[in-house]
Amino acid sequence: MAPNNDIQGIPISGKITDNAGEPLPGANILEKGTTNGTQTDFDGNFSLNLVDQNATLVVSYLGFITKEVTVENQNEIIISLEEDATSLDEVLVVGYGTQKKSDITGSVAVVSSKDFENQPISRVDQALQGRTSGVQVSQTSGEPGSGFKIRIRGTNSINGSNEPLYVVDGMVVGSISTLNSNDIKSLEILKDASSTAVYGSRGANGVVLVTTKSGRDGKLKVDFNANTGFQTIRKRLDIMNGADFAEMVNAADTGVNYSEEEIIELRENGGTDWQDEVFSTAVVQNYQLSVTGGNAKTNYYVSGGYFGQDGIVKDQDYKRYSLRSKLNTDFTDKINFDLNIYLSREEKNGEPANVNSTVTFDPTTPVYDADGNFNFSSLKNAATGDINPLIATKFNTLENFNNQAIVGTSLTYKLTDDITFRTLGGLEYTDGIANSYNSIQVNQLGSAEVTNNNKIQLQNTNMITYDKEFESQNLKVDLIHEQQYVKTTFTSATAEGFPTDESSYKILSLGTVQNTLNFTDDERLQSFVGRVNYGLLNKYLFTGTVRADGSSKFRKDNRWGVFPSASLAWRLSEEDFLKEVEFINSLKVRGSYGLTGSQAIEPLATRARAVYGTEYNYPFDGESSIVGIGPSVIIENPDLTWEKTLQSNLGFDVGILNSKYTMSFDWYKKNTSDLLLLVTLPEFIGANLITKNVGEIENKGFDISIGANLIQKTDFSLSTNFNFSKNTNEVLSLVDDTPISNLGESYLGSVLSVNPTRIEVGQSLGTFRGYVYEGVYQTGEETLEGLKAGDPKYKDLDGDGFITTDDIQNIGNGNPDYTWGLNTDMIYKDFSLNILVQGSKGNDVYNFIRARQMGLGSTTFHGVHEDIKNSWTPSNPSNIAALDKTAASHQILSSEFLEDGSYIRFKNITLGYNLRPNVLSKLGIGSMRLYMSFENLITITDYSGFDPEVSSGGNSDIDLGIDWDAYPLARTISVGLNVSL
Amino acid sequence: MYHYNNLIRDIMKINNIILALILCISLVGCVKLEEDTSSILSVSELKTEEDFDAALAPVFARMAIANKDAHKRITTTGADDLTTWNGGNKAPIGLFDGFGYGNGVGAELEWLSQFSWDPYWDVIYSANTVIVGAENSTGEESVRNLAIANAMFARAISYFDLVRTFGGVPLILDLDADGTESRATVLEVYEAIESDLLFAASQLPSPGAVSSIGKPSNAAAKAWLSSLYLTWGGWPVKDETKYDLAASTAKEIVDMGYFELLPIDELWLLESENSKESIFSIQYSTGDNNFQLLPQSFLPHTAGGWSDFFAELDFYNRFPEGPRKEATFLDSITIRESGTLDPIENVHWTNSEATQRYNPVYRKYTESEVAGYDTKMVSFRAVEFFRYAEVLLIYAEAQARSSSGATPASIEALNQVKRRAAGLPYLTPDASVDVVTATPNEIVDESGWELAGEFKRWFDLVRTERVEEIAALRDPTEKIVLVGTPSKNHYLAPLPLKAVEGTNLTQNP
Repeated sequence: MAPNNDIQGIPISGKITDNAGEPLPGANILEKGTTNGTQTDFDGNFSLNLVDQNATLVVSYLGFITKEVTVENQNEIIISLEEDATSLDEVLVVGYGTQKKSDITGSVAVVSSKDFENQPISRVDQALQGRTSGVQVSQTSGEPGSGFKIRIRGTNSINGSNEPLYVVDGMVVGSISTLNSNDIKSLEILKDASSTAVYGSRGANGVVLVTTKSGRDGKLKVDFNANTGFQTIRKRLDIMNGADFAEMVNAADTGVNYSEEEIIELRENGGTDWQDEVFSTAVVQNYQLSVTGGNAKTNYYVSGGYFGQDGIVKDQDYKRYSLRSKLNTDFTDKINFDLNIYLSREEKNGEPANVNSTVTFDPTTPVYDADGNFNFSSLKNAATGDINPLIATKFNTLENFNNQAIVGTSLTYKLTDDITFRTLGGLEYTDGIANSYNSIQVNQLGSAEVTNNNKIQLQNTNMITYDKEFESQNLKVDLIHEQQYVKTTFTSATAEGFPTDESSYKILSLGTVQNTLNFTDDERLQSFVGRVNYGLLNKYLFTGTVRADGSSKFRKDNRWGVFPSASLAWRLSEEDFLKEVEFINSLKVRGSYGLTGSQAIEPLATRARAVYGTEYNYPFDGESSIVGIGPSVIIENPDLTWEKTLQSNLGFDVGILNSKYTMSFDWYKKNTSDLLLLVTLPEFIGANLITKNVGEIENKGFDISIGANLIQKTDFSLSTNFNFSKNTNEVLSLVDDTPISNLGESYLGSVLSVNPTRIEVGQSLGTFRGYVYEGVYQTGEETLEGLKAGDPKYKDLDGDGFITTDDIQNIGNGNPDYTWGLNTDMIYKDFSLNILVQGSKGNDVYNFIRARQMGLGSTTFHGVHEDIKNSWTPSNPSNIAALDKTAASHQILSSEFLEDGSYIRFKNITLGYNLRPNVLSKLGIGSMRLYMSFENLITITDYSGFDPEVSSGGNSDIDLGIDWDAYPLARTISVGLNVSL
Repeated sequence: MYHYNNLIRDIMKINNIILALILCISLVGCVKLEEDTSSILSVSELKTEEDFDAALAPVFARMAIANKDAHKRITTTGADDLTTWNGGNKAPIGLFDGFGYGNGVGAELEWLSQFSWDPYWDVIYSANTVIVGAENSTGEESVRNLAIANAMFARAISYFDLVRTFGGVPLILDLDADGTESRATVLEVYEAIESDLLFAASQLPSPGAVSSIGKPSNAAAKAWLSSLYLTWGGWPVKDETKYDLAASTAKEIVDMGYFELLPIDELWLLESENSKESIFSIQYSTGDNNFQLLPQSFLPHTAGGWSDFFAELDFYNRFPEGPRKEATFLDSITIRESGTLDPIENVHWTNSEATQRYNPVYRKYTESEVAGYDTKMVSFRAVEFFRYAEVLLIYAEAQARSSSGATPASIEALNQVKRRAAGLPYLTPDASVDVVTATPNEIVDESGWELAGEFKRWFDLVRTERVEEIAALRDPTEKIVLVGTPSKNHYLAPLPLKAVEGTNLTQNP
């Protein structure tokens, strides 16, 4: 619309901005009821001659809520527009391109920077927690710098990795944990087959697409964010004090004895509180600075950041430095070039004290002896055989450095109006160095290890896209070729037998015994993809994809896999019968079906290899060793091929009352077959490990996401977003359907050869095994042979009169029945309050720390838990096993120690204050916000250990919910500042 | 003109498209799809002596690891020479000491599979690899046969331990096992062992002529053969004709005139490793910090150890007084600082307040102890699997049980052991210790005193069916109480759970 200067009218001029004061170029201003209108210029300014003095201006801009403002005898006016978060024309990033939200036929969830900018985020994966349905994000360790475990719609694979594929700006990367969260513009999660099929062989676990902020055409903008706070441990465990413990040890009569004087002294000085000694308040800080700007042809975005976190368990700290530089320029009006460089360095320093040792250690032994040196272990050999938990952390050295460089460059060539050619080249280089030194004080020997882990990943993607809109149809065709190469090199040098601690790991030659180890492997991938997006009348949408992948991990005959998918969507709200219904402004029904794959095993998995190392060398002459080369423990399997996941998805998206309320619902079913499974054959065969394609797992469930803009007034607004995910995982078949008991870790050492978890047909992964605990035999009660009153009572399942391993059954599961998240934003004038609550129900946790505190486990002699005081005696008929119970009658693997880990957690509460623009503009500041935030402030749970969310299994999907030495999460209080110039 | 411009434009467009496609296609195939296998080693053909040494090293290395500490003795704790501490994590050992195992109880113990089952199969697998590799080798015949002999020796002694502990086990004599095998009978296993040892005895060099002290000699093969025949004559097979063979094989070793008995107070010193009394020992070396942990296993916690094994009170009380008893049991235990292992004081084993334990401590392995290595009590001394003293005792007993009965030579063999035990020169007759006759049971008793704590006593009691008789002598004040009544069902240990689950192996009663 050209400015209509021919008509005589009342001139009005002004500026259109967004609600942060940013000018909006190209916004439309229309005098309502006429065709009189104009557009804003580069600086957001406009001028118009009005017909009517009291006209109403209708201001609209793509992505913003259209606003109507009545002109009341004004000549100048500034109008700010609200971003339309639920805009149907919102463009989402999908695999290899973008698509309008209204055109999407698959299941895609979006988390944009707006959703998490009110919460201090230290790691990018943290932004996903509690915000999207179908995505389970858990923090399995509270160690500084530790990452999150992300699972999309359950776990598909037993041995293969279940990590989703991470793609940053079109480049596949190893992990997103080192990215600077302020650089993130949006995170798209692709959940169903249709949206992930374009990633074919690696899309079976879902895909996380990360889009970073870019420069834009506009004047220079500087953003600075600072945040600093304190972390503390959330709770303390119930442990006996020194005197009570001493009395209990005397009562146990095992040869360790405390005299009367010793007990009186302990009552006076209280003994040693190891939780106090080991846990401490720790500082966390996060600083980020970004600069962006550009003109019509070129724009840039540069940012730098520093993140530092100390550990709440002594003594460890973590630092991360990052620098990003994005440059985008139009070489010509047809050719666009961009170059992204991201550099980061992580430094983790210190060996934290062992949490399990800390809460089971003898409370009668002081930390230091009379000379000020550490007491090495329990003075009376009581409680446990561990060494003083503070010794290792004070004397040992542990350093981890991780350097990462990600470079991506792309060239886009607009061949014709409809055909675009794009080529992308990317490089990810990661270099990890780990240095460790165990002091002579700890093992009398001094041992050092220096390792270097080096990975280089190259990617090249070439795409041709044909995109054309006809009258009532639109068609988009993508043809893609992609290739990838990853090379990993590992080198390690160890030395033992040092004369002094002084040189630590820095002079390995001083060690009397030296060892070296290295290996290298690579993996390669070639792929071809074709995708068709077709829309008819903007109502009927179809997407079809085919991808073919060839991987070097499999031998020639099994190398290629083909992964097709198809999806349909129907925009009911565009149909005549619904168009008139104003209540429902959008309704889309969609369904998809497709095949994706996984090759997430190690390279060289199909091959047998000889074994070597010091444990195969033998000194035949009694003095010097002959190097031994032993036969392979792995049986080769040339038939190994892709894991396949067949997924179907049905869902609908609805928006009512002009998207005041929105809801998305998806039902899905995934069947993963040809599982890459490591099978262990009987020991007597010799070479008894083989990776095979065998077994089947099913995941089904539903995701619900509900958004509500409850109140939208000028001064007060309240909006909330609720998501709910339920996933049921079931193992459908295994090798001959025999249960697999040895894939998880044992955790119990020498005590029992039965693992706490088992994989069984008809159960889900993460099933817990154990005896069924029924309390304690009371006086006069009939007991099984060999047992007496005061002994623990277990269910004799097979009724043979003995408690043997045949009486072990499935007693629980580490998987939650469902998880949910509730994110609420409240704005009152200049104040804002954001509350993120996250919950999980039905996940069990095996509390082995409590078992050890009750005196069970290898190298445990006496328990330190408060419950020991309530041990059964003839006069105290409790349900805690007696101190003089029959040897080996108390089981560690039982329902006595399996607890319900369901929890509701207030993940984040942030209270913020936006300073007024008129105050700030005098200082030349665009916007400034001060805030205070609380993380993990409240946790509602019945779990008696430190934290129901963490697990000693780390990211393992077989060992979920095992608390053996898990590092608890911290409660953090911090203050922060966001400034925009 | 208009059409011409359009044409040029269209051709340009097509040119651009073709150029782009060519660019695409040329980039295809940059990445080849064969993976890099250069860092994997495949066991290539075995040909030279060095090849075979490299392949034999893992065989003996695995044996060294399996014998690094005393845990393999767990299943033999039912005998009177061994008991354990009643606290800490020793319940698995106590289970066997108190006869609480059987009926599947004890199968779930991690230590059972970790020390008494898995390591033997590692050795057998490595040995089979050498044997199959040698059979397919194009190397010199003598080199090949020597390698086969060494491997068969290792395989045989592993099967010998397995069959005495568990009874019949799957006989894996090649590399074609697939997991469906079932347990062979005890007799079948004996025959396989005999065949291996006979070949080894024919090929291995004589003692003193082995290329390295860690390699077995033909005397070692014969020593095990004699022990096999002695066991063959007892429970469960009870083929009494084998006693003759046991006696004659043992006599062959005596007649070699190579081995000697060391003075009893020098026998267990570090300097006495690989002495003329050692028939076969497993080597450890200071070179790569390759130590064994037998001192750790046999010392109480207060002395820096793990309190794994002690002597039973009654065994100690019945043990005949003399230099051998002093050399067997530690009278003066050094109590140490925890961590630094600095010595604090020396106490007698009866001083339970200081030691926190109530049983005698074995001295044999602590004689060569080194304190404070990796916070442990270690030793670098080679560990004897077979001593000359045992050969003499086997000869004496087998001859006494044989068809012809005891001979002067066999009685002399017994007396040599007795004289040495009394601290006297063993070759010189001495009327104060010599005996004129001895029943087989008396010789077994002598064997018990001589080989106390050396993984021998239990097997002697089982083959002579005297387990119940000896268990009845147990001191009632022992801290570990008898849970079950010793019976024939206790003669064999339960098979580890993971060996039985999902295989064709049946569990012991």
